[in-house]
Parts: sequence; C-alpha cells; structure tokens
Amino acid sequence: MSHVITTEGLTKTYGSRTVVDGLDLRVPEGCVYGFLGPNGSGKSTTMKMLLSLVRPTRGEISVLGRPVDHRTRHELSPHIGSLIEAPPGYGHLTGRENMAVVQRMLGSSDRQVARAVEIVRLGEHMDKRVRDYSLGMKQRLGIATALARDPRLLVLDEPTNGLDPAGIEEIRELLVSLADRGITVMVSSHLLDEVDRMASVLGVLGRGRLIFQGTREELFDRSVPDLLVDTPEPERALDLGLPAVRGPGGLRLSGFDDAATADLVRQLVHHEVPVHGVRRVRQSLEEVFMDLTGREGLS
Amino acid sequence: MNRTAVAVELRKTRRARVVPVLAVMVIAVVALSSANLFSDSMRADLSDPSAQPWEQLLLNHVVVAAMTSPVVVAVLASRQVDIEHQGQGWTLARVCGLGPGQLCRAKALVLGAVLTLAVAVQSALVAGAGLLAGVEVAFPAGMWARYTLTLALVNLVVLFLHLWLAARVDNQFVGLGVGLLGAFYAVFALLMPAWVALALPWGHYAAISPLGTGPDGGLAAVTPAYGVLVPYLSAVVVLFAVACRRFDRAEEGPA
Repeated sequence: MSHVITTEGLTKTYGSRTVVDGLDLRVPEGCVYGFLGPNGSGKSTTMKMLLSLVRPTRGEISVLGRPVDHRTRHELSPHIGSLIEAPPGYGHLTGRENMAVVQRMLGSSDRQVARAVEIVRLGEHMDKRVRDYSLGMKQRLGIATALARDPRLLVLDEPTNGLDPAGIEEIRELLVSLADRGITVMVSSHLLDEVDRMASVLGVLGRGRLIFQGTREELFDRSVPDLLVDTPEPERALDLGLPAVRGPGGLRLSGFDDAATADLVRQLVHHEVPVHGVRRVRQSLEEVFMDLTGREGLS
Repeated sequence: MNRTAVAVELRKTRRARVVPVLAVMVIAVVALSSANLFSDSMRADLSDPSAQPWEQLLLNHVVVAAMTSPVVVAVLASRQVDIEHQGQGWTLARVCGLGPGQLCRAKALVLGAVLTLAVAVQSALVAGAGLLAGVEVAFPAGMWARYTLTLALVNLVVLFLHLWLAARVDNQFVGLGVGLLGAFYAVFALLMPAWVALALPWGHYAAISPLGTGPDGGLAAVTPAYGVLVPYLSAVVVLFAVACRRFDRAEEGPA
C-alpha cells in the first residue's frame, strides 16, 4: 500500500511545551483518514506542519513522495488542498469573487474552478456576498477553494465544526465522494461518530502522541469491551471474588480478553453458578476513543 | 514585487470602498481648504499680491491635509489588512504560495498608488478652487508641486507604518487610534519647532510645509528639512521591507 503522507518522529515544541511528540503517520492513498483527538491534542499543529505552515522542531515529513520544507512548498502546493481552522473567505466579496481570488493565486483554470463549485453544490449562491453565507455555505466555499486545483490530497481541519446535523451529513457525503474520486482526504475531528461514518483509516492522537493508527476494526480490537454474564445468581458469582459489578441480567466485568473469558466461564461452571449467556458490550467509537485517550474527554 | 499578489490585491480592493473613502477625503480637504476663498473679506484680496492669496490657500491645504491624512491612511490600511484577519486570508494565501509579507507589499503598492493619485487630484482641485474663486496673482507652481510630492511621500511612509501595525495587531481599533493621535500630533507640530515635527512620522505632515512666518509677520517661503526628511522616509521604507520579509519567514500569520 502506498502512502500519501508519511512522517518519522514528527515533533513540535514551543519552549518547554511539547505539542506534537514523535508522530509516525502513515496515510494510505485514496482513503479518508480520520485524525482524532481531544481539543489541544496537537491535530491542528500536525496538519500545519504537513502543509509547511509550521516548522517541525524534529522529524521528517514526506507528502506525495516529496520531503516537506520551504523549498518544496511551491512544488507541492498545487497538489494539496487544505482547510485549516476556520474556513477562508473574504466577507465583502461574493463567492464567485472569492473563487476568482483563489484561482489567480493558484493559476487554476476556469474548468477547475467550475468543477470545484459544482462538487460542493454552491453554484446558486456564488453571487451572494460571503458575509451573508451560513456557516455551512462558508465551509463548502472553503472546501471549494481547497478543490480548485484538482488536488491529490485534501487536509481538512475540523470541516464540520459548527454545522448542524444536516450540514455534517452533507460534508460527510462530500468527503466520501471525493475519496471515491481517488483524492486522499485527511480529516480531523473530535466528532467521533462523524469520523466513524466516513473514515476508513483512523489515527488517534492524545497529548501530542499517536495512540493508535489503523483501520476501524483494528481500533476496536485494541480496546477490550466489557463482558456481560447473564446469570440469575450474581451474588454467588460475586462471592467467588471476581472483579465484577452487578450489571443488566447479571454481572459486568472489565478487562477480560478471550482467554480470561474462557477461564471465567470455566470457574463459574466449576462452582455451579448458572450461566445463561456471555456477551460483550457493544462499544461505540467514542467509548473506544475515551478508553485510548485515558478519558481526556472530547472537548 | 509578486505580480500575482498585486493582481489578487486589486480584486480584493474592488468592493472595499477604497475609492469612496478617498473621494470623501478629497472633497473634505478641498472644501475645508478653500472655504474662506469665497468669503467677502477674501474676495477683495484675490488680485492683491501682497495679500498672498495662493500662499494662504496652500497653508490652509497644509493644515487640513495634516488633520485628515493620518486618519484616512489609518482607515485604508486597517480596512485592507482586516479582511485578511477576518477571512483567514493569511493562511489561504500561504497554502496558495503567497506569504503574508508579499500580501503586505502588494497592499502597499495598490493602496499607495490610489492614495498618491488622490493626493494629486486633491492638490489640483484645491488649486482649481483658487482659480474658480478668481485669484489673479501668479500661481506658485513650483512650491505647489513640491508640497504635493512631499505630501504623497509622507502619506506612503505613514501607510507603510499602518499596514505593518494593522498586520501585527488584529484589533483594528489600535491602528485607528494611532491614526487619530497622529492627526493631533501633525496639527500640533505645525505650531512647534521643526525638530518636534521631525521626531515622529506624523509630524512630517507639518515638516513638509513650504510656508512659514516671515520677519514681517506675513507668510514666507521656507525650505523643508529635506536633508532629514529623505533619509527618514527611506529608513521607514527599508524597515517596512525588512518587516515584510520577517512576516514571510514567520510561522502562521503576522499577528
């Protein structure tokens, strides 16, 4: 699998404060890469380093097979679209005039700009001033400015921030459709359900460190969900000294992997505790995330 | 100078009401400078060389320009830079390959050009008002032209300072406040010794005055201290260039 972004030991410190600590990112080509982490975990700083907006203190970055530094910025910028922090847009200009500004800066063709506007479905609002746009329209304009160069890579920092559920759904569909067109999309968010529904590969950041990187399935494998034991006699089971609490239908136990579960069942049967069923609690991505980030919270 | 940055800046300027702001300034300066030309007491002096009608008119222009120009320059610089702060323009330009310093230089070029044009029009209109009122004594073209040129130069230098300030401090009230204080200082400097006027850039609106008080108490032609003015103005231009270079090298935006 080829990677559009790779970093080796990527680190950023401000004074004695380490914001990003030794990241080894691998973003596969053509995927939606969900970059997750609580606020302040270093997502935006990492993305700025990938775009050469912030200089790394240590480490190497390679994007589209080229090292990233001030010398390669001009070479790479036509292939990378980005939306960092708030969506860009000159409020006193119309959407069309904003796109004309971007077109001039990038040297894009009329066809590229028209296509970008069409993809984000903003065509009928292009003659409205941006100051009169809703937040969702501003986000779409921001994505259009990122798309105006036919990028191979999109780096989007919290593109669904402040959007209502319908707006989030719209952006989600848009990003998935862009990945279907072969564009690699790296999207950061703290809206975990949102990323869960669009990303095929996840990177989880906590306190500047990469806690996890891989597919959704691999992420769930990393976290062991609680075990629920259905028994009509939970008190007898508790008397055996098991690290359990009363749960729905019986007992709830944490940290039991498959081997420990087998031992548990064996022990219960040996002591003639009736066991009607054993199942795992279904975890949401949010619960897995909270588990991995040490319950730092999402905001 | 990056041609793309200038072209982009021109597009951004289109709806920024730069021309209306300058038109208001020009009209106000011309009206205030020439108001007393049409008074009955002045009418009698319009053909009397000893009454120095052109010098009176030029002195009025100096005072009114000193009062208004710092504020107008601050307003223009702040409007043109604030759109970058508000619209994430610094980041947008960076990811498109243009640094903040390049944007500031382009703003200086575009605003400097329209500001210089406005000064030329304003100066011509003030002179036109004199002719319209019926001044019959010989027009001091050299003195008038020198003042117009130095006014345009001082405007440019103050513009550079305000562009830098507006880029560094995203609260635009700071720049506007400085412009307002600058206007007070400029007018105050007209009444003070030359070194006071030369001490701060805004005082140069007074330092470039080609008229002073003669031994008889009337107006007399004076030569502004070009030996101080030119190096001073050049130094500000160099500092602006250095500041823009630093903006380009700095991480993130200039503020």
